[in-house]
Amino acid sequence: MSRRMKFMIAAGVAVAALAGGTAYAFVYQDAAAQLRASGAVGEQADGYLGLVGSASADVRAQMDSVNIQRRAAYTRLASQRGATIEEVAAATACTLLATRVGPGQYYRLTDGVWRRRNGSEPVPRPDHCG
Amino acid sequence: MRCLGRILVLGCTPALLGGCVQVSAPERPIEINLNINIRQEVVVSLREDVRELIQQNPGVF
Repeated sequence: MSRRMKFMIAAGVAVAALAGGTAYAFVYQDAAAQLRASGAVGEQADGYLGLVGSASADVRAQMDSVNIQRRAAYTRLASQRGATIEEVAAATACTLLATRVGPGQYYRLTDGVWRRRNGSEPVPRPDHCG
Repeated sequence: MRCLGRILVLGCTPALLGGCVQVSAPERPIEINLNINIRQEVVVSLREDVRELIQQNPGVF
């Protein structure tokens, strides 16, 4: 095998690894955003994602995975600040509802009813958000 | 406390014998209001932490 061929193979492997890594990072980083965009999942006032209707096992598994990671993050912050997990989760929900629910995407406030964000109208702020 | 007193008085006025003992109905909304006040304070105090939490966990939020 010539030196040039070896170089080309090495370069090819490097490019593939880079592309794969980027694609993986993209999918991983946008898990919550993709779920919201799918319409099967919405953002809730309790700080977790919820199922809007019926969804495939795959969507449910992805949502559960995100929620488990959220709970872990809430738990860490709660112990650092002497707050409860529910308080941290509810506080996070205030920001998520205001910044992460896109037009046409679903949200559920304390009344338990799923609503769809209408165009650029803001999502109503729950009472506990102050 | 003033509020609590007022509700207890209101609760007792129309009550017949033993009405003052069973105050479970007026107690409830007081508890809920207190909880909401506490939560609001905590939520406001956590605002900056929450912003960092969201930024540091891409894909989760």
